[in-house]
Amino acid sequence: MRFSEILHLVWLNIKESKTKVLLTSLGVVVGAATIVLVIAIGHGGEVDVQEQFKTLNVGAIEVSVSTSADMADQMAGGMMGGFPGGMGGFPRSGGGSGGSLRPSGGGGGGMGGFPSGGQSNNFTQAQRGVTLTTTDVSDILSLVPNVSSASLISSGTGAVLTDELDSETDETIVGCLPEYQSISNLTLLAGEFFTDDDETNKSKVAVVGYNLAKNLFGGAYAAYGNAMTIEGKTYDVVGVLDSMGAVSTGTSPDDSIYLPYSTAQKYVLGNSATPKIVAIASDVKEVETVMANIKAVLADNYPKGNFTLTDAGSEMEAATTSANTLSMLLIAVAVIVFIVGGIGIMNVLFVSVKERTQEIGILKALGSSKKEILMQFLIEANMMGTFGGVIGVIAGFALVPVVRLTGMTVEPLPVGGVLALVFAIVTGTLFGFYPAYKAAQLMPIEALSQE
Amino acid sequence: MEKVISMKDIRKWYQVGENRLEVLKSISLDVVEGEYLAILGPSGSGKSTLMNIIGCMDHFQEGTYWLTGQPVHELNDAQLTHLRNQQIGFIFQKYHLIQKYDVLQNTMMPLLIRGMSRKQAAEISMEKLTMLEMGERVHHKPNELSGGQQQRVAIARALVGQPKLLLADEPTGALDSATGKEVLKLFSQLHKMGNTIVMITHDLKVASYAERVIKIVDGELYENETFDSETVTVCKEG
Repeated sequence: MRFSEILHLVWLNIKESKTKVLLTSLGVVVGAATIVLVIAIGHGGEVDVQEQFKTLNVGAIEVSVSTSADMADQMAGGMMGGFPGGMGGFPRSGGGSGGSLRPSGGGGGGMGGFPSGGQSNNFTQAQRGVTLTTTDVSDILSLVPNVSSASLISSGTGAVLTDELDSETDETIVGCLPEYQSISNLTLLAGEFFTDDDETNKSKVAVVGYNLAKNLFGGAYAAYGNAMTIEGKTYDVVGVLDSMGAVSTGTSPDDSIYLPYSTAQKYVLGNSATPKIVAIASDVKEVETVMANIKAVLADNYPKGNFTLTDAGSEMEAATTSANTLSMLLIAVAVIVFIVGGIGIMNVLFVSVKERTQEIGILKALGSSKKEILMQFLIEANMMGTFGGVIGVIAGFALVPVVRLTGMTVEPLPVGGVLALVFAIVTGTLFGFYPAYKAAQLMPIEALSQE
Repeated sequence: MEKVISMKDIRKWYQVGENRLEVLKSISLDVVEGEYLAILGPSGSGKSTLMNIIGCMDHFQEGTYWLTGQPVHELNDAQLTHLRNQQIGFIFQKYHLIQKYDVLQNTMMPLLIRGMSRKQAAEISMEKLTMLEMGERVHHKPNELSGGQQQRVAIARALVGQPKLLLADEPTGALDSATGKEVLKLFSQLHKMGNTIVMITHDLKVASYAERVIKIVDGELYENETFDSETVTVCKEG
């Protein structure tokens, strides 16, 4: 029999039992839609992680002074990472206080950064009054191999006023070295980041985050070249950051004002701020060694100091692993749905073979081969799988906006649709094979004798 | 004349525990081209088994069977399937039309199975259906037809492939007597047109339409060479 004729017979059968085909395909529809959504949710998780960590350099290591609270956490096995400061995110640490500054979470345990999972190395002895300085940064850069750059960073809030505003507003102020731009992958929409000269001269220059530029000046480009007052002092806006979007935790660069470290320290944050050091390992594989060496350098500088060192790579890995685990879990659910759907197809086809036993007998008596009977049933199962798959993929994509309403990040991928369709077809074909085989093996006289 | 069927010492039995239940006991039968043969037997005589074997739908344990020169006893399932399609036209008691197909699709099936194009198969089928006065009903489903009409469709389906043998199993069994007579007249016409017909029946009156009648009793064949419908006498062959 010509293949086109087998297809024609399949079509006649499907046409005669539309409702049955629809109901049978339902399991596959659910399975395919689940696969599409699972992959979309999984990818959404990855995008989330990437988005949250996009300003992080994988080789970034954050060094902060531990407090007694940190120590308690460590001793309790808390492994809380150790990123203090409302600034959150890896390089953007905060804390400190002084002047009119309202410290944002500084100290220990505030945890802007990451949950557990990072490598924390702590000195066993806490010491009050230890403050990291540019000398420590210089020592790390000169003494520790495989460190490409390092910056001091300190943050807090400061009262800000511009011509656009009627009154002062409290905003996040970050003091850092010029290297911090490359360390944090900060890109500029307009202007430039401040320079070493600005740092040396304690210049009153500022780089403003995207959202803040809009809030303070009415527009990102309007901010550039304009002036603003922070804690009563006037600053020139030398640069405006590109929109960075959401970050893992803490305050986004979009909502921060960056000042040279020395300037921030002198005019905004004061001496009581708790600065941190962010160093970048030039080779990601050397992060552990670099951390040990930094620890050694700091131990030498502060024999009684107690520091927390955390690396971004481990944190990212932990977050990615979490996202992947969720994806795997959801995929397992989808596979189970497919198996259930496949069993549904198999059952219906078994019933169909039973119902159509006489028809199979007639076809065999007239000379249809086993292969043709097998093909007919297999294609039918395959069609049910394909049909269910197509509907399921469409349904999956259609449900994406609905799932988004729950607040979940869902990023559908074309590959999800393809995979779901392939799964659906394979499920239909695999589970259809046995009933099709049984149909093909029927003896014509036995099949004909059945009512 | 060329032999369409040539059976020699065909035996078939079923093993029931330690007992062997013999259904066909050394059957020998020759049917030549153009012959119209009726195999007459009561229920349980083995006539259906014999029909299934003639129709290449059942196996036998001993003997040789040649169908249109093909050694059926040596062929595998696939070859038997092919032989059925090429050489045998089946007419069943219950018509055995596929209910979801229309008259034309049912009639075309043997040709489509052969790999013929749909257009050509439809032309040939239309010719046979018209000959059997079913040309106006080609797009009806079987359940929209009377028993006699369904049997005509079944006969058209059996004829489309121009088989060497028309094998009819109780062709009037499901019909009223008037319709049955019409079908039997149709068989006579087909016989006159040169078709070879083997008809299985339990009804003496039906068998009387054939030119040759063989009786089967307890798996053995008995033949009356000069069959007379009024005075049926059956004597053992040879």
